[in-house]
Amino acid sequence: MPPVPPDVTWSQPSPPACLQRSDGAGRLRFVADHGRTQATGLYQSDPVRFLFPLPERGEPLPAILVTTSGGLAGGDRVRISLAAEPGAVATVSTQAAEKVYRSTGPVTRFDTTIAVAAGAWLEWLPQETILFDGARFARTTEVDLAAGGRLLAIEMLVFGRRARGEAFSYGALRDDWRLRIDGRLTWADALRLDEPLAPLFAARAGLDGAAAMATLILAGEGGAIARDAIRDAAEAHPAVRIGASVLGPVMVARFLGRDARALRDAVVQAVGLVRNRLAGLSERLPDLWYG
Amino acid sequence: MATTMITTIPIRTPMPHPIADGDAAALYRLIAWTSPAYPTGAFSYSHGLEWAAEDGLVPDRAALEAWVGHILEQGAGWSDAVLFAHAYRATAAGDWTALDAVADLATALRATAELALESTQQGAAFLSITRAAWPAPALDRLAQLRAGRPVPLPVAQAAAAAGAVPLPAALAAMLGALAATLVSAGVRLVPLGQTDGQRAIAHLMPVVARTTERALAAPLDDVGTAAPMVDWASMRHETQYTRLFRS
Repeated sequence: MPPVPPDVTWSQPSPPACLQRSDGAGRLRFVADHGRTQATGLYQSDPVRFLFPLPERGEPLPAILVTTSGGLAGGDRVRISLAAEPGAVATVSTQAAEKVYRSTGPVTRFDTTIAVAAGAWLEWLPQETILFDGARFARTTEVDLAAGGRLLAIEMLVFGRRARGEAFSYGALRDDWRLRIDGRLTWADALRLDEPLAPLFAARAGLDGAAAMATLILAGEGGAIARDAIRDAAEAHPAVRIGASVLGPVMVARFLGRDARALRDAVVQAVGLVRNRLAGLSERLPDLWYG
Repeated sequence: MATTMITTIPIRTPMPHPIADGDAAALYRLIAWTSPAYPTGAFSYSHGLEWAAEDGLVPDRAALEAWVGHILEQGAGWSDAVLFAHAYRATAAGDWTALDAVADLATALRATAELALESTQQGAAFLSITRAAWPAPALDRLAQLRAGRPVPLPVAQAAAAAGAVPLPAALAAMLGALAATLVSAGVRLVPLGQTDGQRAIAHLMPVVARTTERALAAPLDDVGTAAPMVDWASMRHETQYTRLFRS
């Protein structure tokens, strides 16, 4: 075998790094059985784990996603697949904030597919994702909703380890949403933060100095009720920029703020209001949200 | 001669000129289609700028240039430019399935009700007027393809331009028209004098040139924005007390 020219090795990831990368998957299906929802079809591979605590009183069946590696590095990948069958009611959350570490080049991927059948109510409520300075993160969320099904979903991004005074000064982010209703593309969203990042954070039409941002989506009936509840509650959070809009069968709310903690509080309250007004669930989220 | 060193970096022409080859007809079409007199209702949309001005985010000409420049380069200007280029190529290739898919994505990729309205109402008006005044088989085909479904503005514009105007010039004109529409809204809202408005438009030319060049090379997957503040402003505009604009 001819020797490998030395310059080629620089452009390739070294084999040990390849072996250390994780590629975890988790799949879960919720079925309604005589008015009670059960989780079935569980599949999980490291570092993805699902925990199933007992539901709090009056709450839907909870599933808690855990990434046991403690964080995601460049080249790591997580694939989550959730399905709610007709009539199922379930909440999927994460145990802690997801950390995305600085990468020397490879992208960290997080891909979620969600299917919601008619009459089902599914909540996809991951806690915030913290992008360490230098993180390169690509996230996709693909939703297939049947008419008559409903999905309440959030995604929260924190730009840098704010407690340490860190910003997201270099790196990259691609965050893509595709939502189909009865197979037809209904709503799409694509956030692109490419270097140089500083001008994007400085621009008033960009992030205007935001330390964190979040998007809340309610797909299915009830968008106007959700929008109005979020608007009414916005006055209690003067430090957070909050907007909401209804596009046909999708309600979208955006949150932007210079204080990641204040933003989280506003999002948690908004989620509580929407699930309460539309599904009759508690305004208070499961305990892990309040620590 | 062979040993002469090249000491200067060649300057790339930022924008091809549609009349460089004597094609005055192409230029004439672009001027007509991107004129404020073309009845698509462009003057009635501010793309959230009305709220941004109200909120004090755009107090002067420099801030207006920065706000509009960011929309062109990182916001809907960029996304629509990529969508336009792909719709243009699909039309030119007669690939109606691809054109339909670009139109679906362009329709879905709207963060707020008013931004969706802005794109689909202008797209419908542009298609209907252009079919009447500048009939072309591709426009009839697009109307047939999208019967009962929205035709976003960049898709309607691209279908008209394909086969009639070179892509780089058409793309630059489309972005230039967006710049002019937003600056015109800014002149009323900031407010600014007419001359300052024209200064802003002149200063935005390099942004349009850069964005055109970048969009020409971009895969469809590069569609996306880095302008969440614009989405927020558009959402807040929905409940703004006094409004001159529909977005």
